[in-house]
Amino acid sequence: MKCSNIQKKLSAYQDRELKPQEQEQVRNHLLSCRACREQFAELERVWQTLGGLGEIHPDPWFYRQVARKIKEPREQRLFPRLQWVPRLLPAPVIVSILLVVGILTGTYLGNILAQSNIFLLHYEQASETVFNSMRVFDPAPPGTLAEGYYRMASYKGE
Amino acid sequence: MVDQKIPSEELMARIAEGDDDAFELLVNRHQTSVLNLVYRFIGDRTQAKDLAQEVFIRVWQAVKTYKPEAKFTTWLYRITANLCLNELKSARRRKWFSFSRSDEDGGHAFEETLTDSAPSSEDLLLEKERNRQISDALQSLPENQRMALVLKRYDDLSYQEIGQIIGCSVSAVESLLVRAKRTLQEKLKNFEK
Repeated sequence: MKCSNIQKKLSAYQDRELKPQEQEQVRNHLLSCRACREQFAELERVWQTLGGLGEIHPDPWFYRQVARKIKEPREQRLFPRLQWVPRLLPAPVIVSILLVVGILTGTYLGNILAQSNIFLLHYEQASETVFNSMRVFDPAPPGTLAEGYYRMASYKGE
Repeated sequence: MVDQKIPSEELMARIAEGDDDAFELLVNRHQTSVLNLVYRFIGDRTQAKDLAQEVFIRVWQAVKTYKPEAKFTTWLYRITANLCLNELKSARRRKWFSFSRSDEDGGHAFEETLTDSAPSSEDLLLEKERNRQISDALQSLPENQRMALVLKRYDDLSYQEIGQIIGCSVSAVESLLVRAKRTLQEKLKNFEK
């Protein structure tokens, strides 16, 4: 068997998942092929390394905690799962703060602009503007082509 | 107290009849394996304890409908695997919604692992560092590869059992393990004992 075929089977060989005949073939190949043997040794090294990961032990009261949770009403049992909700709070809090800051800034700037002369209209101009804006729903609002047409049509040569 | 030699399938039948001692025996018998499966998969000790307890609550809830079609541990690990995968999905959602730092969600994996002897602080530090490296390598694997690898390496299950647990074929399990081992070879290249 070729090295490439053997190398594809090394993982299953390590896990003892090959058929007995294939297992034997790989074993014999490894005895005679240094490259494949090194590759298998590397797999084994990683496997051993993973074995170094420590095991944890359950608390002595593990069963009692399970039994207690079973007896608790479902809502109470699920409540601890909602412990992460407070961690969501920063988002609404930040949005609220931004909203309040925005409103305050807007009000402040609005007052400044309203008090400045640049934006103050004279009373008459203001009245005219307001009056014109109220005529926006007229059949021929002032300043439009329709108004020009009406004027031309009603012109009597005077 | 019921006999220690009673098969787990038989214990399930007794639990269905209302035998609380049988449930206690079942929990005591499988708690370490379930806890460590969750721990190695999730990488967080506290979360692993909560999830392991949740596994046994699911067992209790399913006791009436349980049918011993497969090995009890296969059924138990299937519940465990599903819970772990769901937990990871929820954790991702929580992480997305909240501003929590990544290390709050398992970044300190395996750091609390204790040994039975009383090693020096230097040994403890080394042990901690080794565990962290292995944990990081494990956590870098995609979920299915990680679950297959943990079940193979630490529980020595067959490909067929692993396939039943994670819901895929034997050849798919083989492929998952080949890829997982290849990734770990790369990640643990510079690992020193």
